Amino acid sequence: MRDDQADARYRLRVLAPLLAGTAAGIALQAVAPDVRLYLAASPGLTAGLAGLAVTGVLLIAARVRARIADVTDEALRRAAAEGLQDRLRFLMRLDHELKNPLTAIRAGLANVDLAGAPADTAAAVTSVAAQTDRIARLLGDLRKLADLETQPIETAPIDLPGLLREVADAVGEIPAARQRSIRVTVPQAPWPLPLLEGDRDLLFIAVQNLVANAIKFSSPGDAIEVRASEDGSAVLVEVADTGAGIPADEISQVWQELARGRAARSLPGTGIGLALVRVIVTRHGGQVAIRSRDRQGTVVGLRLPVSGRPDTAPGVADLRRRHDTPGTPAF
Amino acid sequence: MTGTSDSRPVVILADDDDAITSNLAPFLERSGFAVHVASNGEAALDLVERLDPDACVLDVLMPRADGREVLRRLRSAGRWLPVVLLTQVGESGERAMALNEGADDYLNKPFDPQELVARVHAVLRRARPGRRPLSAAPTLRASDLRMDRVSRRAWLRDTELLLTPKAMLLLDYLLTHPDELLSRDRLLEVLWGFDFPVGTRAVDNRVAELRRALGDDATRPAWIETVPGQGYRFVARVDDAR
Repeated sequence: MRDDQADARYRLRVLAPLLAGTAAGIALQAVAPDVRLYLAASPGLTAGLAGLAVTGVLLIAARVRARIADVTDEALRRAAAEGLQDRLRFLMRLDHELKNPLTAIRAGLANVDLAGAPADTAAAVTSVAAQTDRIARLLGDLRKLADLETQPIETAPIDLPGLLREVADAVGEIPAARQRSIRVTVPQAPWPLPLLEGDRDLLFIAVQNLVANAIKFSSPGDAIEVRASEDGSAVLVEVADTGAGIPADEISQVWQELARGRAARSLPGTGIGLALVRVIVTRHGGQVAIRSRDRQGTVVGLRLPVSGRPDTAPGVADLRRRHDTPGTPAF
Repeated sequence: MTGTSDSRPVVILADDDDAITSNLAPFLERSGFAVHVASNGEAALDLVERLDPDACVLDVLMPRADGREVLRRLRSAGRWLPVVLLTQVGESGERAMALNEGADDYLNKPFDPQELVARVHAVLRRARPGRRPLSAAPTLRASDLRMDRVSRRAWLRDTELLLTPKAMLLLDYLLTHPDELLSRDRLLEVLWGFDFPVGTRAVDNRVAELRRALGDDATRPAWIETVPGQGYRFVARVDDAR
């Protein structure tokens, strides 16, 4: 609808000089048919031709602009794909270069441990071992992301309501979960949710990450809602909480690897969770979006296509184009 | 490093990175193994020829015959000693290949050295001297269940089992590691190639899928036993179906 209007406006703009020129020509011809401007043609014809020329120039300019936009789009797409490839190559090199030293450090520490270090040294060994584990975990997490971007994923029918309930059960085992109310809402009327296709394990991990985050960044008494709804040819899964929220200046970075907000610095974690969620959803052809208000809460939405078309959509929805309806992430 | 009257199991450790061998070898010695180090694949094959060891730990990336090449040459020469491969995290093709080509187990770098000791003990326990290990057998049989490991197909009596690729991978691992307590984390690593921070339920779901396909009752299991709080164990007797 909007496209049709824009098209009509564009045609009017391009044709305006031609129409104006033709109209002026007809008027001149009628009012002063004998006036000559030392031209080979009559003023009327000249005005008409001038209009035609301007329209021609506009048309050519529009064509050039469209071509430049095409080329720019293609270049951006290519740059994004190359950027991803570069990042994956970098992660693999990093992984490759760090895993032997890490293995050696661990073996060395285990040696010292078995040899029976004196008490003061033993404390240092324990501390170094813990930090080594931390680096290994971080490296493993980054490698995991790189793997998920490339490895084939299963596409089998997924019973989403069952999956969401299972997530709620699983996070119920986190001690802090008991002090928050966690509610799963899945529509039954007028019809149940359409069947999704994808990798159940991965989607489980994505939703579980979101609910675990909601628990982590909320306080006793806060509410957490996990809700699913049909949205055109997609299913929208939302995880919302009345927790701490994310400051406005941090929201644009939350989907990036190793991004950790100020509030997260005192909490355990590697800052990989949301990046993992984004990769999993993107591999399912879906999109992620987040909205948050500082000290009010956060809602993260996953839009998953019903037909299951992997690798077709940009990962993060453009939040500038959202309709700002509280509680509804827009895509 | 070993004396002739030594009763410790003889293990060959092959890795081209000196930082690894110089730290890992003394640790394995301290853990009760007689360790011989090789810095490339050819040297590892020479040591096997000379020492007739009890087990091999091979890095996959080595100059002059990598770990896979060493494994292939050992198996094609009819040497069935247990082999643990040190693999790259996440390379799922490499994992499947390691098991298909007859590695008894594999471990992703950077691993916990204690875990390596546990694995080597497990493969030594499982070893059947002079006989082909289950992990090198193309076809396995457990009671009415038959699995063709090359084509990744399985039959219960005469009915072919319809399994997801991951459940088939899990079945393969269970059949090649019978009567062994397998933690959920270990099985998760088998399925995905890395540990997820959470989500060992992914393992439970695949085990449930296998149990459904096998008609197994979790409370009185004939195939897969749940070890509460720890993991699973494949309880049926498994044989090489040659």
